[in-house]
Amino acid sequence: MSSSSQISESPKSNFLSSDFLDVFLEKRSWEPGWLVDFRKESWEKYLDLPKERLKDENWRFSPRSRFGYSNFPELTKSERESTLNCDDTSNVFFESLNQTILDSPSILSDLPNLTEPNLGSISNLLLCRTFAENGFVIKAPKQFQSNSIFKTTNFAPQNNKSRFQQNFIFLEPHSELTLLEWYESEDNSSGLLSNTSNIFLSENSIFNRVVIQKLNHESTFLHHENIELQKGSQFNNIIVQLGSSQSRIESKGSIFGEGAEFNNSSICLGIHKQLFDQRTIQHHSSPNSNSNLLFKNALLDEAKSVFSGMIKVDPEAQNTDAFQTNRNLLLSNEAEADSLPGLEILANEVKCSHGATTSKIDDQELFYLLSRGIPKRTCEKLVVLGFFDEVISKIKNDDLLNQLRNEISAHFDTTI
Amino acid sequence: MIKPSNIEIDREKGNFHYPTSSYAFDAGIGLSAEVIKYISEVKNEENWVLDHRLKALSIFEKKPMPTHWASKDLENIDFDVIRYYLAQGQQPSRTWDEVPDDIKETFERLGIPEQERKFLAGVEAQFDSEAAYSRMKEDLEKEGVIFVGPTEGLKDHPEIFRKWFGKVIPSSDNKFSALNSAVFSGGSFIYVPPGVKLAQPLQAYFRINAENFGQFERTLIIADEGSEITYMEGCTAPKFETSTLHSAVVELVALKGSKIQYITVQNWSNNVYNLVTKRAIAEENAEVRWIDCNIGSKLTMKYPGVVLKGRKSRGEVLSIALANDGQHQDTGAKMIHSASETSSNVIAKSISIGNGRSSYRGLVQIPGHLKNCKNNTECDALLINSESQTDTYPAIAVKGDDNSVQHEASVSKVSAEQIFYMQQRGLSEAEAMSMYVNGFVNDLIREFPMEYSVELKRLIDLEMEGSVG
Repeated sequence: MSSSSQISESPKSNFLSSDFLDVFLEKRSWEPGWLVDFRKESWEKYLDLPKERLKDENWRFSPRSRFGYSNFPELTKSERESTLNCDDTSNVFFESLNQTILDSPSILSDLPNLTEPNLGSISNLLLCRTFAENGFVIKAPKQFQSNSIFKTTNFAPQNNKSRFQQNFIFLEPHSELTLLEWYESEDNSSGLLSNTSNIFLSENSIFNRVVIQKLNHESTFLHHENIELQKGSQFNNIIVQLGSSQSRIESKGSIFGEGAEFNNSSICLGIHKQLFDQRTIQHHSSPNSNSNLLFKNALLDEAKSVFSGMIKVDPEAQNTDAFQTNRNLLLSNEAEADSLPGLEILANEVKCSHGATTSKIDDQELFYLLSRGIPKRTCEKLVVLGFFDEVISKIKNDDLLNQLRNEISAHFDTTI
Repeated sequence: MIKPSNIEIDREKGNFHYPTSSYAFDAGIGLSAEVIKYISEVKNEENWVLDHRLKALSIFEKKPMPTHWASKDLENIDFDVIRYYLAQGQQPSRTWDEVPDDIKETFERLGIPEQERKFLAGVEAQFDSEAAYSRMKEDLEKEGVIFVGPTEGLKDHPEIFRKWFGKVIPSSDNKFSALNSAVFSGGSFIYVPPGVKLAQPLQAYFRINAENFGQFERTLIIADEGSEITYMEGCTAPKFETSTLHSAVVELVALKGSKIQYITVQNWSNNVYNLVTKRAIAEENAEVRWIDCNIGSKLTMKYPGVVLKGRKSRGEVLSIALANDGQHQDTGAKMIHSASETSSNVIAKSISIGNGRSSYRGLVQIPGHLKNCKNNTECDALLINSESQTDTYPAIAVKGDDNSVQHEASVSKVSAEQIFYMQQRGLSEAEAMSMYVNGFVNDLIREFPMEYSVELKRLIDLEMEGSVG
């Protein structure tokens, strides 16, 4: 520990400096050679990236400077691993990234062949691939079924440090799994967590996932996820964001198999100066598939949300049903919601639509509650909880649902 | 049931080309400061206009192409082979008889002025760079309505037009507005005095007749307090071997309580790049309405906008786009709210046939200090064949808890059951399809003046031919 703190004194400790990678790789010399090569390759790609363009549609409306690494120039020394919990892991491979690299690196052998979702943060993605020291790996075997919820808790670092994390989730044919991903901060100091998830759903598998982001209000959350759906598979995703100072989520669902179903939903409750930047793609490459997206944001104080969604339907993806909805509720004069819903349709046998609305609480609804003697702030909270219920009521587990409602309520109360 | 087809629309039906022997004024090929000085000299312009043009040229040279979001097709435009100014030395004729025979023949073939001028308050017909014919009812002239070209407008009425010229759309707005500001010629400058309500529309026809020619007309309409005006424009061009460029700038100023309605039926041949900047300013209680119909051109990029500057002003864009084989209709609307209690409405319908591509690109902006602003946007796209393509790229930025915005878009195809229903009642498949498409845009077409809605239905039928079967 003492030697590492000496390193942090030198400028070499900045992970964006040219010679840092060697120090980093030396520390992780126990890794297999192909992974070292992969890290080096990702770093080369990072260096070769063209200069950021001033005007980039993928960053439209987003104050890009808030997502920079300059305030978090060093990797965290804290060895706090993601925690993994489940009472039924009999047949499922469920390990931390480091343990997986040590024990079963073959599970990760596809890593270098992964496609790169590009919704703007290719640099973050490449840094994640270069410097990931944390994360988790799940592999559900064929026909796996369980009533248990798999849970991981992941941590944003402390003291202005950065942490990179890579997660892999593979579901083999006909398996079904429910996962709760929890993100929080180690303590009250600021930190940056950059997280990449690759999710592969084989034929007829079903993956239910709830992501809860509750970082402290000083931290930055960067999250990429790339979901590949094969024939007949189903993905039900619910993202709940309450925390962080600024968060950017890039979520890409690619449908490669007939009859797949992709459901992506999210809620954000923004207070103070929180910024929630969300970029999504629903990409249909196969016929007869469905996708459905519902992103809801409620914004107080000076909070801001950006939603950019795209439905892409390839020419061969006939009989696609794809929908996209963005609803924003503004509760203060300084709150801001920007929407960029998009469609790119190249097949004609489709049903596609998107809708985006931004508005305040309906005066009549508010009056109804006020006339029953409920204080205004409580009325607003009730309306917001009701507004979010369309998304979170999809969570089947009652305990988790109640816990979430309480979290939302408590988060709302912190603004008073 | 609906099969893709490669049948090319018979463009000869719309071949209005007439060879014109010689042009008295020709600025040559390519763009340079000399070309601009030549244009300015021919037009005998004042120095400030020339300075304005030269400044715009330097902006044009500096600005990049907007290809980071727009179609890469723009890179195919070769600015060095375009002719920027061609005129036969014509002065706008006051009577139809004075119009040179060959120009008259072209317009007659379009079947336009003779028939319709009876119904119109004023007509202007532009042939390549300059207006060939301009006529306005005398009683309107007495009331003080001004309807002239930009050269006359800036020379004879500087007190009216100079104040607003280039103010709604500055030269630096985008690369093509800069190009237009540098080489503009032709177009309409209109002023409607306070309280004057034009019962009949003013009308302009634009026509490109020479190969490799770029048309850069400039329109500025000022509706003074409490006045009302409807302006209609139509565009045609013969089909040449090489692509042609049309890049207009249209500025509308709706002062307090006035109403402007601007109607476009764009039917350029399908090798014209149609890159047009259109924007309006609406002051207190004013209303601006763009009715935009794009059927022709190779690539159209046009996003009529309204800056809602005064309290209770209203902006509206009604848009119909039809993209056939090889066409890309990239259209949309911009609504910039900058005063309280303003409202805007956008209804866009697009139809993609064959491998045609239609896109909607929109912007709605409401800052936080405003109260009670509303926007409604609806985009509906219809896909006819399996290679047809449609995109929607709206951008909505809203701040504050006192404004409301809704946006909705849908994509659908002609349903087989409906076609079957009509066939079962004795219509051919093509007729049924045509009827379906006309039904799809019908509620928008009803907003058009009579003669335009008839023409539009005919144009849609024409475009639909051969797309089925």
